[in-house]
Amino acid sequence: MTHEHASELLAAFALHALDRDGARAVSAHVRSCAECQRELASLQGVTEQLGSAVRQISPPPGLREAVLARTQVRQDLVQLRRRWAVGLAGAAALLLVVLAGLGVSLSRQFTALSTRLEAQEQVLALLSAPSARSVSMSGSVTAAARFVYDPNRGRGALVVSDLRDPGREFVYQVWLIAGTQPESAGVFRPAPGQSVVFPLAADFSRYQAVAISVERAPSGAPQPTTTPILIGKL
Amino acid sequence: MTTGTPQRFVERPMRFWSVGWDVDRGVTEADQEATLLARIARRDAIAFETLYDRYSRPVYSLAVRMLGNPQAAQEVAQEIFLHIWRGAGEFIPTRGSARSWVLSLAHHRTVDALRRQRVRTVEPLAEGDPGAGGGADVVEQALRGVEGATVRSALMTLSPEQREAIVLAFYGGYTQQEIANRLRIPLGTVKTRIRDGMQRLRVQLVQGEEERE
Repeated sequence: MTHEHASELLAAFALHALDRDGARAVSAHVRSCAECQRELASLQGVTEQLGSAVRQISPPPGLREAVLARTQVRQDLVQLRRRWAVGLAGAAALLLVVLAGLGVSLSRQFTALSTRLEAQEQVLALLSAPSARSVSMSGSVTAAARFVYDPNRGRGALVVSDLRDPGREFVYQVWLIAGTQPESAGVFRPAPGQSVVFPLAADFSRYQAVAISVERAPSGAPQPTTTPILIGKL
Repeated sequence: MTTGTPQRFVERPMRFWSVGWDVDRGVTEADQEATLLARIARRDAIAFETLYDRYSRPVYSLAVRMLGNPQAAQEVAQEIFLHIWRGAGEFIPTRGSARSWVLSLAHHRTVDALRRQRVRTVEPLAEGDPGAGGGADVVEQALRGVEGATVRSALMTLSPEQREAIVLAFYGGYTQQEIANRLRIPLGTVKTRIRDGMQRLRVQLVQGEEERE
C-alpha cells in the first residue's frame, strides 16, 4: 500500500471502519512510516475522546472478579510452570545425588553383606562337617564368642557378638597359640550391632588355643602386648 | 444497530483530558499509565488490578453504548482486559498515550463483537428494512448516548453527512463499505466524509482544549 493510499485511510483505520484486509494493509504501512504513526496517534486522540464521551456506567462487581480470576488463573499457570521447571530441575539434581549416594551405599552394603554371607556359609559348611568342633571362648569380657573349626580340612571361623568397639586407636587381634608362642591370625573391628565372623585357615593340630587381645590399630602387633580378653582351648 | 434500551445508570462527571501533570506526584498521569502497562507486560498482577480499576468503567460504558446489552458488554469487557493482559507489551509509549491505546483496543474489540453479533442475528437494517437507506435515526439515538459536552459540541460543528458517517462508523461499528451500502452512496463519498469529518473534529477538540486551558 502506498503512503498516499494509507494516509487517506488513516481516519477510517483509527475509527476501525476498515474491513479486515484494509486494516491489515494500513497497519503494515504504519509500522514502517513515522509520519503515519504520528498522524494515527493524533487521530486516536480523537477516537479516545469519542469513546470517553459516552454515558459512564459502573460495571457490575462480578466483572472485576471474573476478569481477575481469568488472568489469575493464567498467572498461576505461568508461575506453576516456572515453579515446576525449577522444582523438577531441583528434584532431578537431588535424585541424582540421592541415587549416587544410595548406589555407593548399596554397593558397600552389598559387598559387606556378601562378605558376611560368605563367612556365614563357611561357618555353616564347617558346622555341617562331621569332624567339626566348636569351642566357646571366655575371658574378661562378656561377649559371646565361639571358635568353630574343622581340623581335618584346616578351616575355622571365629564368631563373636556383643564385642565393644575398641576405640579408634585399637583393633582386636586374633592369636593362635602353639605351646606358649602366640601367632597372629589377623585383626578385626566389630561392626555395631553385628556379630563378627572371622575366617581362619590353619593346621589346627599345631595349636592348643585361640585368643583375642586388644592391640594398636591398624594392623596390631607381632606379639601380644596386652592380656587376652578372650581365650578358648582347642 | 441497536443503540440500547433505556437504562438508568449512575452518572458521574467526565474527564476528557486525562493526560496532564499530576501536581501531587510530579509525574504525568500518562507516564504512570505507561508504566502500568510496562508492569503488566511483566505479568504484574497488582498493576493489572490498578489498570482494571481505572479503565473498567470507560471500557464497559463504551461496550454498553455500542452493543446496547449489558450482558454482551460484560463478555466483551472480559475479552478486552484479557487482551490487555496478554498484549500490554505491544504498547509503544512513543506512539500515543496509554489511555489512547487501551480505549482504542477496547473500541476495536467491541467493533469485532458487534460485527460477530450482526453475522449471527439478522441484520436489522438490511435491504427492505424501513431504516435502511438512512442512518438519521440511528445517528440521533447514538448521539443521545454521547454525554461529553465537548465531544457533543464538536460533533455538532460537523456537517450532518460527516457526523452521520463518523457516528455510524465509531458508535455503530460499521465499515466504510457498509455505510456506503446503507446510505446508498459511493464508497468514495463515505471515505471523504470520514476523512474530512475526523480532521474537523480534531481541530474542534484541540480548540476546545485550548479554550479550557
